[in-house]
Amino acid sequence: MIVKKLIEKIEGEAELEFDFQDGVIRNVDIKFNLYRGIEEILKNKAPRDALVITPRVCGICNHAHLIASVGALEDGINRSVKKFEITEKARDIREFTLACELIQNHIKWLYLTIFPNLNRVLNIQESKNYALKAMYVSNTVTKALAIFAGQWPHSSYAVPGGVTCDPTFVEVMQAKSYIEDVIRFFENVVLGIKLEEFLAIKSVTNLDKLKGDFARILFMLGKNGFGKIGQSYDRFIVFGNSKFSMPGKATATTVSGADIKFVQEFEQEGSFAKAVKYKDKFFEAGPLARGIVAKEPVIKSMHKKYKDSTLTRVFARIYESAKLLYVANEILKNLRIMQDSCTLDSKIRLEEFEGIGVAEAARGSLIHKTEIENGKIKDYQIITPTQWNLANGAAAAKAMIGLRSENIASFVFKTFDVCSVCTTH
Amino acid sequence: MARKPKLLWIQSLTCNGNSHSFFNHSNLFSILSHFELIYFPLIETKYSLEDVLRKKVHSDILIIEGAIKEDLTKGGVNIKELIHHYAKESRYIITAGTCATFGGIFKQSEPEKISGFAFDKENEKEDILSLYEHRLISLPGCPIHPKWLSYVLLMIINRRRIPLDEKNRPQELYGFTVHTGCVRNEYFEWKIDTHGFGHKEGCSFYENGCQGPFTHGSCNKILWNDTSSKTVVGTPCFGCTEPDFPKERLFSTKTNMGIPQKMPLGIPKRAYLTVTGIAKSFKIKRLEKKVIDYEK
Ligand code: SF4
Ligand code: SF4
Repeated sequence: MIVKKLIEKIEGEAELEFDFQDGVIRNVDIKFNLYRGIEEILKNKAPRDALVITPRVCGICNHAHLIASVGALEDGINRSVKKFEITEKARDIREFTLACELIQNHIKWLYLTIFPNLNRVLNIQESKNYALKAMYVSNTVTKALAIFAGQWPHSSYAVPGGVTCDPTFVEVMQAKSYIEDVIRFFENVVLGIKLEEFLAIKSVTNLDKLKGDFARILFMLGKNGFGKIGQSYDRFIVFGNSKFSMPGKATATTVSGADIKFVQEFEQEGSFAKAVKYKDKFFEAGPLARGIVAKEPVIKSMHKKYKDSTLTRVFARIYESAKLLYVANEILKNLRIMQDSCTLDSKIRLEEFEGIGVAEAARGSLIHKTEIENGKIKDYQIITPTQWNLANGAAAAKAMIGLRSENIASFVFKTFDVCSVCTTH
Repeated sequence: MARKPKLLWIQSLTCNGNSHSFFNHSNLFSILSHFELIYFPLIETKYSLEDVLRKKVHSDILIIEGAIKEDLTKGGVNIKELIHHYAKESRYIITAGTCATFGGIFKQSEPEKISGFAFDKENEKEDILSLYEHRLISLPGCPIHPKWLSYVLLMIINRRRIPLDEKNRPQELYGFTVHTGCVRNEYFEWKIDTHGFGHKEGCSFYENGCQGPFTHGSCNKILWNDTSSKTVVGTPCFGCTEPDFPKERLFSTKTNMGIPQKMPLGIPKRAYLTVTGIAKSFKIKRLEKKVIDYEK
């Protein structure tokens, strides 16, 4: 029996087709329909124009696209035009603004997707305005982001050689206050304990210290069996190297190196989205992957007890938000604003090269590949995190197989933080 | 108490950036409290997307996000047709963002099939305008500025007439250029360039491609995220509110014998050249220097 479901209030929409046999889901077909042809649009444009066009792939992870895009240009310049390095300051500012975007994303996911949907699946009536919490965090953390990047969404402030901004301490201190506001919210509302106290927790057995919304969601998920469902391939991949991510891959919790050259895209029949595999295998990308590959003790402990279940996946994303807040705050504390913002001449000619850029977006590793010929973009390829997770047969589909209800399955699907606009682009 | 106007937000071909931009508004829930929110992509309401697609809801104020594409469907429903269905009964139709207004970036992938709701780039779509012109408000920007949208919504609630220009853009927002209020104005006056990227000093008009002086919008009057703007942080304005967005070579100024090809809005070239000649004949020491000395 085929059951169709239109999934909304993710980024865009998706249509799921569940194939039930004897009351059990045997297969799920995932369809996205919002193809916009970004890669085609980029052809023949000036190389730097990608910094303006690619953020428009996605309204929620636009900044990650910018960072991957500038990375691709810089990689190419470094390999074929001129050796250079960006300053620590420029790198820190980029990592800071990217961290802000991830926080914005994760908190929206928690309050706009997870809480309302879990309540619906479990038939819990509540009149809390979760959206208000999401708005508060998103509004505040993107203020901090915009202080450096000019605006969110759709900044293009990262350019080959660094960043366009040249902040004074006036801006840095303002940004710091915004981050501290978000930390305060986190401690009072999400965690119920101090941020550092939470980040010091290494084992599942100490999670009973948590109060707040985090405790509530873990309790609801645990009580309703979400620690036992939603398991996927148990293979994880990360390419971004930053203060909040380490590159590598893992099978269960055994970590090893990963090389981008083994990443391959595949056409999928009847879908605009291409699938992605690493050495012919599906991997999961995102906060859980980042936690596992970085060997975060509490994530390993969760994994030991609950495997790569829905509970672990949700935990990893909220845990990462806390970690990102800590990292963001540390970056501002140590920012060396006296260094140069940009170390490359803006007039340097970009004639001919190939480059690859990577960024850890909210949903996982984002890869941009650019090929420049005669001063123009000859080919541009974007591999988004959601292609890792949401292609047919990939991590999210696998996590739904074996379930007995399409409503539960849809919830499991949404815990992957689905983004249809990125998947198809 | 009078019934609250129904607010319906429909997405066509989009990146969702306008939804996220508006959701970031500091006063979001006060603004929304004046309306009955029928559908908005990020917030739960009584109605599902299915209800919207099956035409089970009603609209007084229709907000369109994203470009119109002839054959775009969702859940088997043609979105262009759906938009017209709700547009017919709405008292106001707001095109939120450059895609919805003029076609925007995505138009470039299939120019014949993709356009804005009532404009196709510069060009008026007469069949549409003849139906909706008096109810239409254009709010271009990629993405839309949250406070520009809230301004329009609150003007409607307060029953004030919004002065519009020839493209149905509110004059109070688009009568200015992005150049208005930019912190780099002093450098513009004296024609001093930024000399590359990453400097708080200098203006981006001469080399880095800043389109602020001929772009309609209030980005530097009503700051982004209440804090900043592109040009403040040294990024050129890309003219994202304009019908021809995106142009080419966005990070460099097209010049003619060293003079920017495109003049500030409404300024005759002769006037510009005269002023430039005078400004450049002086060396203003203060403006040539770094503002702050940090010990390295
Ligand atoms: S105008 Fe810009 S922000 Fe709006 S949908 Fe189009 S690309 Fe996204
Ligand atoms: S940077 Fe752009 S907006 Fe700012 S003063 Fe110069 S031209 Fe005007």
